Amino acid sequence: MGSELLKGFRMLDLADEKGALCGKIFADMGVEVIKVEPPAGCSTRAIPPFLDDIPGPDRSFYAIAYHAGKQSVTLSLDSIEGLQLFCELAATADFVVESFPLGYMDRLGLGYGKLRELNPRLIYTSITPFGDTGPGKNYKAADIITWAAGGMMYLMGEEGKPPLEMSLPQAGLHAGAEAAVASLIAHYPREIDGVGQHVVIDMQACVVSTLMNEQAMPLLHGDYLRRSGIFTGAIGGRRKTVFRCKDGYISGLLAGGAYLPSTNATIDWMKEEGAAPAWLTQQGGLKSLTPSAFMNAAEADLRELEMAEEALERFLMTKTKKEIWQNVLQRRILAAPVATVADIADDPQLAARHYFVEITAPHLKRKFTMPGAFAKLSETPVGPAGAPPQIGQHNREVYCGLLGLTPERLVRLSAVGAI
Amino acid sequence: MRRYAFEGIHVLDFTWYGVGPVTTKYLADNGADLIRIESSARLDGLRLAPPWKDAKPGVNNSQFFASYNTSKKGITLDMSRPKAREIFLKLLPWADIVAESFTPKTLRQWELDYEHLREFKPDLIMLSTCMQGQTGPHRDYPGFGNLMAALAGFYHIAGYSDSELCPPYGAYTDFIAPRFSACALIAALDYRRRTGKGQYIDMAQYEAALHNLAPALVDYFASGKILGPSGNRAARYAPHGAYRCADEDGHERWLAVAVATNHEWQEMLKVLGNPPVDSCFSTMLGRLDHREALDSFVGQLLGERRAEELTTALQAVGVSAYPVQNCMDLHRDENLQAFGYWHWLDHSVMGPSPYEGLQHRLSRTPGELRSPAPSLGQHNDEVLNGLLGMSAAEIEQLKQEKVVF
Repeated sequence: MGSELLKGFRMLDLADEKGALCGKIFADMGVEVIKVEPPAGCSTRAIPPFLDDIPGPDRSFYAIAYHAGKQSVTLSLDSIEGLQLFCELAATADFVVESFPLGYMDRLGLGYGKLRELNPRLIYTSITPFGDTGPGKNYKAADIITWAAGGMMYLMGEEGKPPLEMSLPQAGLHAGAEAAVASLIAHYPREIDGVGQHVVIDMQACVVSTLMNEQAMPLLHGDYLRRSGIFTGAIGGRRKTVFRCKDGYISGLLAGGAYLPSTNATIDWMKEEGAAPAWLTQQGGLKSLTPSAFMNAAEADLRELEMAEEALERFLMTKTKKEIWQNVLQRRILAAPVATVADIADDPQLAARHYFVEITAPHLKRKFTMPGAFAKLSETPVGPAGAPPQIGQHNREVYCGLLGLTPERLVRLSAVGAI
Repeated sequence: MRRYAFEGIHVLDFTWYGVGPVTTKYLADNGADLIRIESSARLDGLRLAPPWKDAKPGVNNSQFFASYNTSKKGITLDMSRPKAREIFLKLLPWADIVAESFTPKTLRQWELDYEHLREFKPDLIMLSTCMQGQTGPHRDYPGFGNLMAALAGFYHIAGYSDSELCPPYGAYTDFIAPRFSACALIAALDYRRRTGKGQYIDMAQYEAALHNLAPALVDYFASGKILGPSGNRAARYAPHGAYRCADEDGHERWLAVAVATNHEWQEMLKVLGNPPVDSCFSTMLGRLDHREALDSFVGQLLGERRAEELTTALQAVGVSAYPVQNCMDLHRDENLQAFGYWHWLDHSVMGPSPYEGLQHRLSRTPGELRSPAPSLGQHNDEVLNGLLGMSAAEIEQLKQEKVVF
């Protein structure tokens, strides 16, 4: 275990749920990632749900998933000794990533301006909800806040009902991954000329960047998109994108343009199984759909499309997600099951690629199966590097091994509450 | 001193649609010289997708395409022609990276897959990104990112309840995968710098996207529990969600609020004028236990208030809040403006056009939108003449033969 890709580099990871994924991606790539936690543990360790529904700092699935392969040291930034230790660690590090409120690290004397004096090579990445200069630079932001500020929330949900976030909040994951990319962009020239830099991540902007083609719509087409449940309101039509089936849901679309061959293949399938109404299979049955028109259906044709969608749903209700998926793949229909985690765990494609990996966590006497390599690299495979650490599990290794403190010193630092 | 991080790095880019171009944009905006290879014979679908300049379709009129292709040059080669392949192989020695995002069989057909290319250039770094990866029974699945968002589990964790799913907008996973593939590419560049070795990167967008679902997958494997949609309920915040405020200019306005402590709750009530409060809401546990009543109580309190004013007042006392912004609001947002997120670039065909900027800022070698997106084949002459030394007559001949097409 441990990728060769970025072996030999070290990151100090002080990020909470705004950026835990950054250090995880780095650990997957072979970087030695040291989580620097307060003595009570990082706040991500309190995120439910928990293993066996028993809360505890080692049992949060969020922490297990996003801290796997990292090391952990404890360090109190409230103590002079702790600040001193952090400076010693930072002098040995290649990367620091943090997501504290703006100015917090500066007030402690641990901002980029100070640490670059100790270590000019350092790349210091700050994840902020709203950037570091605007009127909201000091705003507090739980995940749902940047999800809302970045425009994705407005587009999720039914018109007239509250906009939504997902039940596994996503904004901090986008920010964490962006922090990983940006830190590496800074890394490349640093390895050539030896000079580090400060990197700022704007979480709100990270959410905006997920809006596909919608962000420029108001400026060029004069209006903005409303949320519309399971219907796509984009591109001048209102077409259903989620259909019920026997054991769940299927995502698909009856449309023209690039979707026309798929729409025709769907209707052929219904016809083969005697599930297509006569009008649908006649020549020009869905006359509103053409190779050039994605879904600019005339008023009069919309009812016809709705009837086709109703017929399709009746047909799909007789079949399971698995049956439909097999047909979708064979017939080259543009559709996919609305997969649950159980469906994903059971996916033969992921199995064929040996995607999921098992990690042993000795302190819990458990094995965890988790997502493996985010990409397959031929020369330097990447992937989860090991178990998630207990709070301060690597204190001795890091403070004695790396910084050269004596075991007695370690005990004394612990006694004064520094670690 | 270097102006940009990737000065001197050269990329030949076959990618199209979303994930590939968004990935290589990280390199191009940060100084890499990047040549996109397109063709009218195999047009990037985004070139025809809205929004369009003046709301008029056209291959050089799409801002959807333009957004993901800043700082890049563009040439046109119909790769199904043997001569196009020859031209590509002449460009290959120039490149550090080749990127592509076709379904797996395409490059094998052209004999331009990694196994072939590495013979010409042993230290090449090559990225192939497709839906489900280069191997496995579903490798040729041709879907779009919106379907991948369903397949990768995101549709199922979005909605008011199990019977009322409300998926994330658009090709959601297209905006997860690029950050992972960009990490892989840049780290591979650094590895090559240290060791001289190139490599092949097989990126399944599916596999990258599942990292945004990791806790739910680990939970399922350990306990069998299946995460479903849960409205805006959160285990550690109450209230937590979006609450309707006063309409403005005839449009609905909602405020996102997340209260993490009793202290924050007390501060929020003060901002709302200390209304009479049911005692069951005085503790976090009580608020979590009576979530529906709490949501309706907060909804009533906010109904007549203005979302912007509440944001300022609540944030001033340390409560997480922000208006739920639509795509029009984003362009007026003071925080995005302060970060320098929006840009107008003068496109060769579209004229001044609105572009998204970067989501990060580097202090020493900041990336930027170095140029607007190329029009189709805009740099044919520049590249074929400048890099390969072809004469105007030769290039004209290739255009006539529809090799440069």
